[in-house]
Amino acid sequence: MQLTQREENGVAILQPKGKIMGGPDATILRERIHDLVTDSHLKVVIDLAKVDWMNSNGLGILISGMTTLRDNNGDLKLANVTDKIQSLLTITKLVSVFEAYESVDDAVASFGTPARD
Amino acid sequence: MTRPLEDFVRLVIPSEPKRIAEADEFVETALRDHHVPESLISDLAIATTELVNNAIIHGNRKDVSKTVTLSLQFTSKDVTIRVQDQGNGFEPDRIPDPLAEENLLKEVGRGIFIVRSLMDDLTFERAPEGGMVVVLRKSLDSP
Repeated sequence: MQLTQREENGVAILQPKGKIMGGPDATILRERIHDLVTDSHLKVVIDLAKVDWMNSNGLGILISGMTTLRDNNGDLKLANVTDKIQSLLTITKLVSVFEAYESVDDAVASFGTPARD
Repeated sequence: MTRPLEDFVRLVIPSEPKRIAEADEFVETALRDHHVPESLISDLAIATTELVNNAIIHGNRKDVSKTVTLSLQFTSKDVTIRVQDQGNGFEPDRIPDPLAEENLLKEVGRGIFIVRSLMDDLTFERAPEGGMVVVLRKSLDSP
């Protein structure tokens, strides 16, 4: 799994690429989300467009990130959820837990306009 | 001359989490060699990596002196995948329901549930020599 990061309107966008199946690769995504919290970047979008599939390890990382962010008054939202991942979210009932959007732009916009100084 | 396809293939790996990718590649290669429809390959890869993760982390507790044995048996109709560890085993009936309200936000505990959802059969056996064998079967007819 590879991971890229960018920022739009104060929202951190993480784009994993490949498979999220556990092992050291998946740890990179978990640590990056938690590093964002440490750095007070509390608005996070995970762009899943380039994720081939994930297993329960990947779902666990998304849940861990989301709960940590919400505990800190932030949030983690999903964008470009593929059919395969949507199916997993549905059978595990996590579809009711995550906010998911059809595009990164929609997910970023859902956080609202950042306050000006 | 091309080599005939084996109906039975096996991989033995030490109990290191970094080996999970090797197990995935082994399974996906065998499935593609047997012309399994792409629509089924990701489900089988998800299920297998769940079981290998469990075997490494929960079964063998990451003890690198213990191994995980992964095998695939093909017939014209289905594939049977076995994942065997060298741990103390577990009671599958005692795994908490991951859909219960109190478990929904837990980070772990969905693996076996997902495997059951994706596969046609899932059984658990105690190996005579010790360890747990988890066996899954999937029909190779396209969904």
